[in-house]
Amino acid sequence: MSLEFFQVLSVALFSIGLYGVLARRSSVLILMSIELMLNAVNINLIAAAAFLDSAFVGQIIAIFVITVAAAEVGLALAIILQLARNKSTVNVDEVDLMKW
Amino acid sequence: MALFATILIPLLGGIILAFFPAHRGREIKVFAILLSVATLILSIVLFAAYDYSAGGFQFRESFKWLDHPMNITFSLGMDGISAPMVLLTGIVMFAATLIAWNIQHRPKDFLVLLMMLVAGVFGTFVSLDLFFLFFFYELAVLPMFLLIGVWGSSSDFGTFFRSKEYGAMKLTLYLVAGSVLVWVAIMAMFWASYQAGTPTFSLEELRSVEFNDSYKHFQNLFFPLVMVGFGVLAGLWPFHTWSPDGHVAAPTSVSMLHAGVLMKLGAYGIIRVGLELMPEGAETWLPVLVGLGAVNVFYGAVSAMSQTDLKYVVGYSSVSHMGYVLIGIATLDRLGMGGAVLQMFSHGIMTALFFALVGAIYDRAHVRDVGVLEGLAKRMPMTAAFFAVAGLASLGLPGLSGFVAEFLVFVGAFKTYLPVAVIGVIGAAITAVYILRLLAKVFFGPIRPEWEHLTDASRVELGAAALLAFVLLFVGVWPLPLMDVINAGVIEIPGILGSG
Amino acid sequence: MDLTQLAWLIPAFSFIAFFLVVFLGKFLPGRGVWISILAIGGGFVVFWVVLVGFLGADCPMAFGQATCGFSMEWFTAGDVELSWGIIVDPLSVVMLGMVTLVGLMIQVYSLGYMKGDPRLGWYFAVHSLFIASMLALVLADNFLLLYVVWELVGLCSYLLIGFWYERRSASEAAKKAFITTRIGDVGLLIGILLLFDQTGTFSMSGTFEAATAGQIGQGTLTLAALLIFLGAMGKSAQFPLHVWLPDAMEGPTPVSALIHAATMVAAGVFLVARAFPIFEAAPDALTVVAVIGLITALIAASQALVATDLKRILAYSTVSHLGLMMLSLGAFGYTAAIFHLVAHGFSKAVLFLGAGSVMHSMDEETDIRKMGGLRKVMPVTALTFTIGALSLAGAPLLAGFWSKDEVLLAVLDHKNYLLAFALIAAFLSALYMARALFVVFYGKLKDENQHVHESPWVMTGPMVLLAVPAAVVGFIALRVTDTGGFGTFLYFNKAHAFEFSYPLGIASALLALGALWLGWMAYGKGSTLLDPLKARLGGLNRIIENKYYLDDLYQWTIDRIILLVAKVVALFDRIVVNDTGVDGPAKGVRWSGGIIRYHVTGRMYNYALGMVIGGIFVALFWWLLTTR
Repeated sequence: MSLEFFQVLSVALFSIGLYGVLARRSSVLILMSIELMLNAVNINLIAAAAFLDSAFVGQIIAIFVITVAAAEVGLALAIILQLARNKSTVNVDEVDLMKW
Repeated sequence: MALFATILIPLLGGIILAFFPAHRGREIKVFAILLSVATLILSIVLFAAYDYSAGGFQFRESFKWLDHPMNITFSLGMDGISAPMVLLTGIVMFAATLIAWNIQHRPKDFLVLLMMLVAGVFGTFVSLDLFFLFFFYELAVLPMFLLIGVWGSSSDFGTFFRSKEYGAMKLTLYLVAGSVLVWVAIMAMFWASYQAGTPTFSLEELRSVEFNDSYKHFQNLFFPLVMVGFGVLAGLWPFHTWSPDGHVAAPTSVSMLHAGVLMKLGAYGIIRVGLELMPEGAETWLPVLVGLGAVNVFYGAVSAMSQTDLKYVVGYSSVSHMGYVLIGIATLDRLGMGGAVLQMFSHGIMTALFFALVGAIYDRAHVRDVGVLEGLAKRMPMTAAFFAVAGLASLGLPGLSGFVAEFLVFVGAFKTYLPVAVIGVIGAAITAVYILRLLAKVFFGPIRPEWEHLTDASRVELGAAALLAFVLLFVGVWPLPLMDVINAGVIEIPGILGSG
Repeated sequence: MDLTQLAWLIPAFSFIAFFLVVFLGKFLPGRGVWISILAIGGGFVVFWVVLVGFLGADCPMAFGQATCGFSMEWFTAGDVELSWGIIVDPLSVVMLGMVTLVGLMIQVYSLGYMKGDPRLGWYFAVHSLFIASMLALVLADNFLLLYVVWELVGLCSYLLIGFWYERRSASEAAKKAFITTRIGDVGLLIGILLLFDQTGTFSMSGTFEAATAGQIGQGTLTLAALLIFLGAMGKSAQFPLHVWLPDAMEGPTPVSALIHAATMVAAGVFLVARAFPIFEAAPDALTVVAVIGLITALIAASQALVATDLKRILAYSTVSHLGLMMLSLGAFGYTAAIFHLVAHGFSKAVLFLGAGSVMHSMDEETDIRKMGGLRKVMPVTALTFTIGALSLAGAPLLAGFWSKDEVLLAVLDHKNYLLAFALIAAFLSALYMARALFVVFYGKLKDENQHVHESPWVMTGPMVLLAVPAAVVGFIALRVTDTGGFGTFLYFNKAHAFEFSYPLGIASALLALGALWLGWMAYGKGSTLLDPLKARLGGLNRIIENKYYLDDLYQWTIDRIILLVAKVVALFDRIVVNDTGVDGPAKGVRWSGGIIRYHVTGRMYNYALGMVIGGIFVALFWWLLTTR
């Protein structure tokens, strides 16, 4: 097993996530895609740390990312919930509140 | 501590004022007047105690504020140029606080902001450290925004409309834009001193800093920033339009401080930061300044001639009179420069008087339109008399302070910039035309029936006006005490001509 | 002790009186007007002390004249010390005497004339300031001080002409007077600055020394002299700046008397006389003075002939005589000009006080067509007026005769090509004086004027007292004893005793008498002698009656040119500088913000796409940077 395998996996996951973020309309699915991207990064970090570095820096950052991601999901879901309540939709193309 | 006190009294006083219950209007105003009386007395004492035969900066005090590598010190001092300005601020502040007696809407907030403004003005005049000079300068400018925006008045002139928000916004944006230029120049000077190995913001140390060979180039580059940056505040053409519009929007006492003191900060800044720190740059750029000053004089006077709003007339006449200050500064001659400083003082008193009286008329008639006001002297004889005094000072009548100042500016300008001096003299004649037209139109002639009910200015207003008129007369008849001090200051400006 | 040093007291009294009456007048009995009269009376007394002192004093000589004085610091600016100071020389002594005497008489007269006016105190206060400024002007020993009081004189004329400011016409006339004289003052100030620039001093003696020593270039000197003369033209109402003086009749009549006899208009002639060393060194400027003076004399005389307002006739007569004085100065007739100034001053004071007396009794009526035969009801006024009028007309043996003769002699000596015109001016001045005199006081008394009565003694007294010098002051020119006359007291460089040129004297006497006779025939008997002439010269008459359209021209210039320019500049300021230059950028920022904000769609996928594209660019950039 070489580092490249993990990196290819990470890139593939990241690209899938990116595609999901750009192409999906449902905000829940976009959120899931973001999670996918974060985890792709985590894989990359841990793999790089395991192969190149012995000081667990990568693992530490990965754990940090997981924590932040959890918080982020909580916040994002709260926003989506409010969106669903107020606008009766979770589709991002039907909402353009974030201007002017 | 005396100089520090000029800043502290209005500053702390304003803070104490903020804790007064808002509905006790009378007590608040009395306290504010007491504060201004204290400041007035202090400024008179400071002025009188200034030893002009010794010259230089006196009453110095200095505290370290930020150590190496910035070397910012909170240091204060007063010399022959700032001493008359301190006195002017004390007098105008007192008169403006008296006039503020008429404020009914949120008097507490008004007076607190007014005190902040005055603290800033005093601070600018007595700071010997560029950092604090700039700091106080901004402190003086910013309260104006609220003072005009909240307590001002909007005017509809038929063909165009000037809201108070417009006036306030324009004034603040202009002055802040000017101070950005100044700040750039200050940073550049600090950086130059840093590279020379002696980082400092001190005005005096910056003077003696040994700069490298490109210093002349440096001065030519940065002097115009100071000139224009402070010039904006002095009403330098074509950056003057904030001033008349600001006056039209501002309440009376703010107009008094604005034209009486604030515009002087600009001219003071040009002398203190521009001429004293960058004399070689000044040499390159002063011909431009003198040209703009001449434009100021002429253009302001001609513009004032066709204005129909009393405040616009006085506002443009301020633009015109500040032109004499700029010309005087630009002559770099001891007479001209002395005249410029005296003109700053005299114009400050004179416009304050003008605005106090215009305010008194506006409070009663609720219009300022020259076309509508007619024959007011019958019902407002004292107002008319004081207005005439201010007007005569404005047109340079001997015996009032404006003449001495303008005369010195002319003499100074005559040596170096003869055409400018001639324009200045003609400008004074144009001033006579519009001032006399104004007097004849507004005060003399048969009174219009709708003004029969008007009453003369109140005792408080007349008291303020009498004080200002007395100063005009005193300085006009006996300018010696003021000129002695001014001479002591002017003589130390580097590169000044005519020193013998 | 040198008594001449006391001269400064003379103006000082009246200055103090001004402040006392203004600030304390309300609390004093009679509103303090007696302070004012006391001050000028004191000044008159001190004048005699100074005169005696001056005759006995051993003063240093300047330009052939004994000149005393002192000076003290006013303030210092830079390295230039500006000072107060006085000159006591024959010129200032003569002026002091005339101004104090005429001023005193007019103030006493005003007690009667202004009785019951609500602003009596203010009137007397400004009156005092007026006289004080004029006295200080006469004494000033440097140009700066001279300019200061010169402007104060202008201010006082403004305040007094506009004394009844509730009348629109009065406030307009006051404004016109101040602005017109101010135009001249611009010239004076520039001239003073020019001289200062050349000599480095404001002191008169220093400037004159430099001028005569040739330290100043001829061109500069001529320019400076002309600029100073411009100031004199404004104050002394010389063409084309004479338009304010007739309008100045809007003030109370004693004020007119003061302005015309002793203070304001005399200042211009005095200034040229005072600065004579400069003019002498610049002969071209002197020619201009003479020509302007002559034009003024002729134009004003012609206007005096057609005016129907008694005060205006007198005003034009003043302008005309001031022109003669300028002509005299221009013809090196230094002594003659001052002599004529004095003679004219007394005569004109009498005439104005007489006119005021008439108006006082006739409810402020000034139209001479409504008068006639008034000598029957106002004998004293008629007598004094007659003396004044005859004196001005140049009737033999009266003051005006001698002084006019001196003027003509000077013209003959130095500018003989102007003599014919000068004689015409003299003839016209006799003719219009005859017209005013005969139409008002002689002929038939109109029925509606039967109630008219003589004025009280406070008014007639001063008139009589002034009529005496108006009649006899001419004799001071004569060589009474070995000490010589006026010409050996006041002169420039070279004393010259009185000369009487018989051919000229007889010619001018015949001219004056002829004009008076013509006037009597034309106006006194109510004959129609002049009617065909008027009809024949209808066009000319109309031009003269319209004041040569000068007022219209000025009004047009102000309305159509100056105010238009002012409007254009103000519009330029608002539209170009403010709305375009200042609000323009502000609006530009707002407008571009309005455009740019559309990129903020509010749709999440746009932002996401933007982020991705941005990320790709950053990556590419990084890649390019690192793989070099």
